[in-house]
Amino acid sequence: MRRDVFQAIADPTRREIINLISRQSLNLNTIADSFDVSRPAISKHIKILTECGLVVIKQQGRERYCEANLKSLGEVSDWLEQYRIFWTSKLDALESFLNKDAGTSGKKKSTKKAKRK
Amino acid sequence: MKSEPFVIERVYNAPVERVWKAITDKNEMKQWYFTIAAFKAEVGFEFQFEGNDGSKTFLHLCKITEVIVNKKLTYSWRYDGFPGNSFVTFELFAEGGKTRLKLTHEGLETFPQDNPSFAKKNFEMGWTELAGTSLKNYVEQVSVDK
Repeated sequence: MRRDVFQAIADPTRREIINLISRQSLNLNTIADSFDVSRPAISKHIKILTECGLVVIKQQGRERYCEANLKSLGEVSDWLEQYRIFWTSKLDALESFLNKDAGTSGKKKSTKKAKRK
Repeated sequence: MKSEPFVIERVYNAPVERVWKAITDKNEMKQWYFTIAAFKAEVGFEFQFEGNDGSKTFLHLCKITEVIVNKKLTYSWRYDGFPGNSFVTFELFAEGGKTRLKLTHEGLETFPQDNPSFAKKNFEMGWTELAGTSLKNYVEQVSVDK
């Protein structure tokens, strides 16, 4: 399995974890409490994020805190990869916008023209 | 130096007219793309927008070079104060009631990729957007849908 930025952000739960801890470092329990999925599943996501270099675990007393290491993204050296992330985020946002819009302005489900290709 | 264009494709659950509006109407563009003072889908129309990474603003300068309504939109894309010029093309293909969007970004190799601060700044800008509003919206949307 590849371990890079794209792997890290390929999963919606991992994106949400990054989003959560990009504002402040949080311990594992606090992160797990923010999700409906099981704690082991969250641990696994965090493990992947650390392997991808996006999250750093810091021991503070008894607690282990997850800190976002967004700088690692700046180390992506391939120019095209940087644009890939940029456009991926933009096209995700477009999808979100189109979905939201469809939800608020009357669902257009009648456009099913069932033409067999 | 690579010179092949960057290409990314997506299929959206919306008709082409709907997607076309989202990529050419400034009020819609600002909800997912950038805040642009004025935008007209006309060849020769110039527009600009700012991307901010929290410490520095990057001015993007663009000029429309091709418009085929509901099908294709191309504009140049460069950064104020930096050499190089690139072209961004949105192509829409109707697939049943859905739309396949093909985005092509050509000419990236003309930018100063050996300038780490430029590369990094530009990248952080995209990331800030990703970690901030776009990602948040996207994530929330996804969790609502499921």
